Amino acid sequence: MEENKEQILVQHLLLKEEAAWKELFGAYSRNLTYVCSRYIIGKEDVHDVLQNSFIKMFRSIESFEYRGNGSLKAWMTRIVVNESLKYLKQNSELKYVNHECEFPDIPIEEEPNLEEIPQTVIMKMIRLLPDGYRTVFNLYVFEEKSHKEIAALLGIAENSSASQFHRAKAMLAQKIKEYKMSKKAQYE
Amino acid sequence: MSNQWLNDLRKKMEDHEQDVPDGLWEDIGNELFSDEDENMFPGIILDDDIQERKKISGIRNPSLLYRIGGVAAAIVVIFFVSKKLWNSNPGTGFIKKVATSQTKNEKAENNNPLNNTQNSNAEGYSDSGIDLKNNNLSHPIESSTLNTMAYENIENKAINSSADIFGDAKNDVQNTENVFSKNNPIIENRSPVNENKQADSEELITQPESKLPEKYAAVEKMKLGKKHDKKAWMLSMLTGNASSNAAEQQFPGYATMSGSPMSIDQVWSSANYDDDPLMEILLANQNQQVEAKLRHKIPITLGVSLYYNLGKKWGIGTGINYTKLSSELHSGSASNYIKGDQAIHYLGIPVQINYTVIKKGPFTGYATAGALVEKAVAGTLKTKYVVNDEIKEISEERLNIKPIQFSVNTGVGVQLKVIDKFGIYAEPGIGYHFKDNSALNTIYKEKPLNFNVKFGIRLMID
Repeated sequence: MEENKEQILVQHLLLKEEAAWKELFGAYSRNLTYVCSRYIIGKEDVHDVLQNSFIKMFRSIESFEYRGNGSLKAWMTRIVVNESLKYLKQNSELKYVNHECEFPDIPIEEEPNLEEIPQTVIMKMIRLLPDGYRTVFNLYVFEEKSHKEIAALLGIAENSSASQFHRAKAMLAQKIKEYKMSKKAQYE
Repeated sequence: MSNQWLNDLRKKMEDHEQDVPDGLWEDIGNELFSDEDENMFPGIILDDDIQERKKISGIRNPSLLYRIGGVAAAIVVIFFVSKKLWNSNPGTGFIKKVATSQTKNEKAENNNPLNNTQNSNAEGYSDSGIDLKNNNLSHPIESSTLNTMAYENIENKAINSSADIFGDAKNDVQNTENVFSKNNPIIENRSPVNENKQADSEELITQPESKLPEKYAAVEKMKLGKKHDKKAWMLSMLTGNASSNAAEQQFPGYATMSGSPMSIDQVWSSANYDDDPLMEILLANQNQQVEAKLRHKIPITLGVSLYYNLGKKWGIGTGINYTKLSSELHSGSASNYIKGDQAIHYLGIPVQINYTVIKKGPFTGYATAGALVEKAVAGTLKTKYVVNDEIKEISEERLNIKPIQFSVNTGVGVQLKVIDKFGIYAEPGIGYHFKDNSALNTIYKEKPLNFNVKFGIRLMID
């Protein structure tokens, strides 16, 4: 009864039992740290955002609706993403670079193959993207938001979101290509 | 290029995990469950002390409020403690008052300017009058009185031991040095606190001392009575502060604005130039009795403050205050003198606690107590040299000493609600200013305990 386990946990969470919250933290904090780290670079900042997120969860657990397995995780992830965006807005005037000429579009002929690349390496690559690019990229790819939604979330124009996403995508693809080439070079 | 690889990317990364930042759960647990404990196990943690309770509940909304309250309480406690310590070493402030009254008698006696010179030189501080006989250093008790006088002198940073040697302009340098060296060992010899003096100042000390514990008690009570029922902000604008008393100091001889006698350097430098106005004044007054009059004008205060009502009776407030202190110095004889105008501007942050005593119709009667930290932000000293009723020279300088002034106050107030959320108030009260240990001479130093009336307008913000 896998689903029920989650539901039971939620019931205890609703009672604001410390043990239940600790369990929740234990089960999800590592994944949520990853989610948060996609958006926030500073270690201290990640700590702060996660702390705020958990407090928010604690205060708004009543609003959580169970919709099947995984919905708790999705709910928590949403809160962490929202808190991350909030933090980014407050702390680093998100510079959504708009100059088209910063670097030329890199034509990527083939789709990057992700198979042999470890998660940590991909994570590092994502975190190396400029703030604005990274935020849009994360929202689009991982949170599966449309450009329209992203534009509304970040208070930017829709086409700005799209162009930043394309740039971010190109940059990442380029990084993956470089990585593969360096790997190849190592083996040769 | 399609975006398929991005879907792969998402799937690949879905279960990715990273190390949780250190101490995250501890922080979250502290924030969420330290107060939740009380809800979960009612009765177990019953006898929390107030401090603890305060800390816990402070995490929620009114945390800022508690912080302000805590700071206020801490300031008051610090004041109280420092005041206590200070009192255990009496003779710094209050003896001055005792002495001032003596000064006048003594002045009548000492018509001989030269004697006068020596006398006040030994005192070091010109308004701490000592009988002429005190000059006799061989007398043990009196000399120890002198020591403490000298000690007081140090406290006041008025170590200008030269005193008003120049009450007589004929004084030569040798005399100066002579007396100066005589004075030195006295200063160094910081003898233990004199019993005599303690008795002297006791009477004066008891007055403010008895007031302080009262205030302290009041603050303590308020801390206990703090409850956050309703939120109600009150904006208050303080538009006047009329102190009932301007202060005047009088010393024989010449003096500077700090109330200390003129230093050797000042006269030394001036003695080298024939056309120096100070020299002219000194010469013109050669055979005349001179005296310095220092008049502190009533302080002017403007301020804005914000009050927050804690329940029906209690309120706490803070804000910003501006105060201007001005003093006038007239040093010399009637027609040949140095005139100094000193203006110091303070910016301060008050913390006030209000207790509503009575509420009848549009009238509200309340009691208030609080503390104020003020910092001098600017100061100017304008000096005019007048010889034969003619202004010879005007010099203006900025005062670089910018002391921080602490004070506590209490009072009662009446507030009249004019319209819905707008009211005017009048608040007579007393304040006590602690010594700021700077050389700056202000009314706060001369009259630490002062009566004042504040007028203002208040705006209620819901």
